[in-house]
Amino acid sequence: MLLSLLLLIPFGGTLLLLLWPGQPSPQRLRLLAIGILGLQLAISVLVALRFDPAVGGMQLRELHRWVPGIGLDYALGVDGLSLPLVLVNGGLTLVSAVITRDIDRRPRIYFAMLLLISGAVNGAFLAENLLLFFLFYELELIPLWLLISVWGGANRAYAATKFLIFTAISGMLILGAFLGLALLTGSVDFSLTPVLSDRLAMGGQLVLLVALLLGFGIKIPLVPLHNWLPDAHTQASTPVSVLLAGVLLKLGTYGLLRFGLMLFPEAWVRLAPALAIWAAISVLYGSLAAIAQSDMKRMVAFSSVGHMGYVLLAAAAGTPVALLGAVFQMVSHGLISALLFLLVGIVYRKTGTRDLQVLHGLLNPERGLPLTGSLMIVGVMASAGLPGMAGFISEFLVFRGSIAVFPLATLLSMVGSGLTAVYFLLLVNRAFFGRLAITPATGDTSVDGKLDVQLAPVAPRETLPAIALALGVVLLGLIPSSLGHLSESATTALAQIGVGIS
Amino acid sequence: MPVIPADLVHLEPSLSVEQVQQRLLSGQTLLSETSDHLIEVVDVLKSYGEVLDAYSINLIYQAEHQFLNPLPIFKYLDGDLNPAKIWRHLNHDRINFEYAEYCQKAMFWHGTGGLDAYLDSEAFAANCRAIMAAKRRRDPLLALLDALFPGFAPELIRSAATTHALGQFWRVMSDLFLDLAAAEADGRVRTIAQVVDFIKDGLVAAAANPIGYGVSIGDEHLWVLPPEAGLTFLVDVAVPYVEAVFLRGMPFLGTVSFNAQAQQISPDQSQFAYGALYADPLPSMGAGIPPSLLMQDMYRHLPERLHQWYLQRTRGEGDVRVKICMSFQRSMFCVTNAAINGTMPHPLDTAERTQQQANAAYALAWAKRLAAARTDCLTA
Repeated sequence: MLLSLLLLIPFGGTLLLLLWPGQPSPQRLRLLAIGILGLQLAISVLVALRFDPAVGGMQLRELHRWVPGIGLDYALGVDGLSLPLVLVNGGLTLVSAVITRDIDRRPRIYFAMLLLISGAVNGAFLAENLLLFFLFYELELIPLWLLISVWGGANRAYAATKFLIFTAISGMLILGAFLGLALLTGSVDFSLTPVLSDRLAMGGQLVLLVALLLGFGIKIPLVPLHNWLPDAHTQASTPVSVLLAGVLLKLGTYGLLRFGLMLFPEAWVRLAPALAIWAAISVLYGSLAAIAQSDMKRMVAFSSVGHMGYVLLAAAAGTPVALLGAVFQMVSHGLISALLFLLVGIVYRKTGTRDLQVLHGLLNPERGLPLTGSLMIVGVMASAGLPGMAGFISEFLVFRGSIAVFPLATLLSMVGSGLTAVYFLLLVNRAFFGRLAITPATGDTSVDGKLDVQLAPVAPRETLPAIALALGVVLLGLIPSSLGHLSESATTALAQIGVGIS
Repeated sequence: MPVIPADLVHLEPSLSVEQVQQRLLSGQTLLSETSDHLIEVVDVLKSYGEVLDAYSINLIYQAEHQFLNPLPIFKYLDGDLNPAKIWRHLNHDRINFEYAEYCQKAMFWHGTGGLDAYLDSEAFAANCRAIMAAKRRRDPLLALLDALFPGFAPELIRSAATTHALGQFWRVMSDLFLDLAAAEADGRVRTIAQVVDFIKDGLVAAAANPIGYGVSIGDEHLWVLPPEAGLTFLVDVAVPYVEAVFLRGMPFLGTVSFNAQAQQISPDQSQFAYGALYADPLPSMGAGIPPSLLMQDMYRHLPERLHQWYLQRTRGEGDVRVKICMSFQRSMFCVTNAAINGTMPHPLDTAERTQQQANAAYALAWAKRLAAARTDCLTA
């Protein structure tokens, strides 16, 4: 029942917000949404407390027949792979609601959609049935499309439509793979049982796995399927970007591990070398593209493309250390990218621009955004993988676990990790160091030095969520055993599926 | 093209050389005449006066009581070694005397005017020898250092002489600025022009004040700057101070950086333009220019009227040091204005052509230097 609460609370909250009588003020709706999401996070933490880390398989399971004829069961369970993501979802949706300010258009629907997405993501992470996963996977699509297309930037219609088309294709490929499984095996078993050669020939496995890889590859996103992401981020409002980067992309990587590696272990081993190379290309492309950006948000978006490639690399390697690294990378990327998007959002709200040709010296202690800048430095240090922060332990585990299996792809990915420092130092150097300005530099210090920049200050309460995320990033880096303890059994068990096959 | 939010970035027009010269020759003040400017200048000078009082007392204390002390760890405590005061000092509940020392070092380094000339004279060297002869008998460490490094003690005495002279200069300026605030409060000063005149009159009245400095070693009293050196307030200390601190300054790291390798800093020290009148008011929190520490000190003594005025502008308390620095620059332009008016070769209303030409040349020389300064603060 505990897991069902994780669905009931956000979905019930959605209904509550939609049916709340009268015309509640946006502020009251926000507080209500924060309350509901706080409760959801509390239940997520309770699940973590009830969770036995020593057990590798699913726990706290709930199983009810729903539509037996088509193999759709209400089957929920949580393991060391999904639990960290459920916690990240709980935390980041709450952050999204907290940082939502100045919503004057349809606040009721906005917060309802936020809750709906959170519930759907919980459902997708907890589903033990392929069709149930797909239902939740699709359920978050429309609310997110609405969040971009109604509350987005000037070019939101284009970005939202692009997102919808890409993600719909992703959904079709995943559904096609799941239905194909039933078609090719001749049974309507949509449980999470590995599909081996005794049930399905290798050719069939490969076809289905490729469909899943493409489907989840769009969601992650992997190059060249990433095209929708920078536009979606650029046009989405800050809370939506936080949710998109921090939580929704993880649906792709989670799906890759749960339904790619776990469901088709034999075919996975066949494709693994190609996947490792794909991961390296994705990492390098994402990093190089990020270097070329002058929009801070696009830079962070492309860094996501690069950093999610590490998860594919780890999944391809399939060793226990690499898979633990994949879980770490999903969580740390969730926290770090949420932090970075949040801070970019603050800069944008205060300066009206994200252009790195225009922003300078924002770290100025009196007239700039010093706390925002300091947190941004923490965020980029973590993203670049500095020891003591979440990014380091994730990347270290991924590389340590992968280098023996795929040395070339791992080394190329390490280059990508180094490039992260390059583009984020560019970002910090241009936007935060030097003399404060929000105009292109003339190069004449006698002119640039006379600019009187009058930015509105950032209230401390506006940076509280960012401080919390930064603390999370540092804590995870300093005490990695916390997450390792939760996930190690599950990732070791996952790795053994692959080992057993090979 | 990037989107630039116009309301966030302001660039006030600067004055040209011709405009500065014209203002100086016409008797118009450099700072434009507004009621806001009057509040800013008078109140910031009042807080500056209170800070200068503390600076002056400390510099004179250092020169007289920490003279040739090799480890002057209590030099900022003015001889008061009460544990409560030491605790407040360590807790940084104190005046930043480092800024005063910065100004002293700037004067010492740039070394212009009669004081510097006297420090290089044979008479001064004789004073140093007499002082060291008295000191060596009592201080074996200094005796050893003096024997090993004969140039060491005279340099320390030169530095102490500059310190004392700056302390005497600031004593006068502190009283002058506090008198100005009192004059404004009782209605005797109502305009910027009257502020400039008040300061000019004060400078002229103190112009011939003698500058002297002597130290006591044991029961001997020895002169460092004796009366017979003939050093006076205006030409030997005030003018070198303006040259060193207002105009030249030192290149600073921080909000604007200068690349010595790329020859962005002139090798000719007299061409330096890094003084208080040129400083970017955005703080770099260094000891020198931009005078971040001075801003912090003035913030502690800010009159309530100016504090309220700041609270209503930009970030209120959040960027108060930047606003103090802007007001400070306006007030320093008024002081510079008064000094130029006071040292103008001939009266401005002279009818004689050669005198007019001399005045024009004098004003032009100043205008060339000031036009490159932060004259944008004069019009705003």
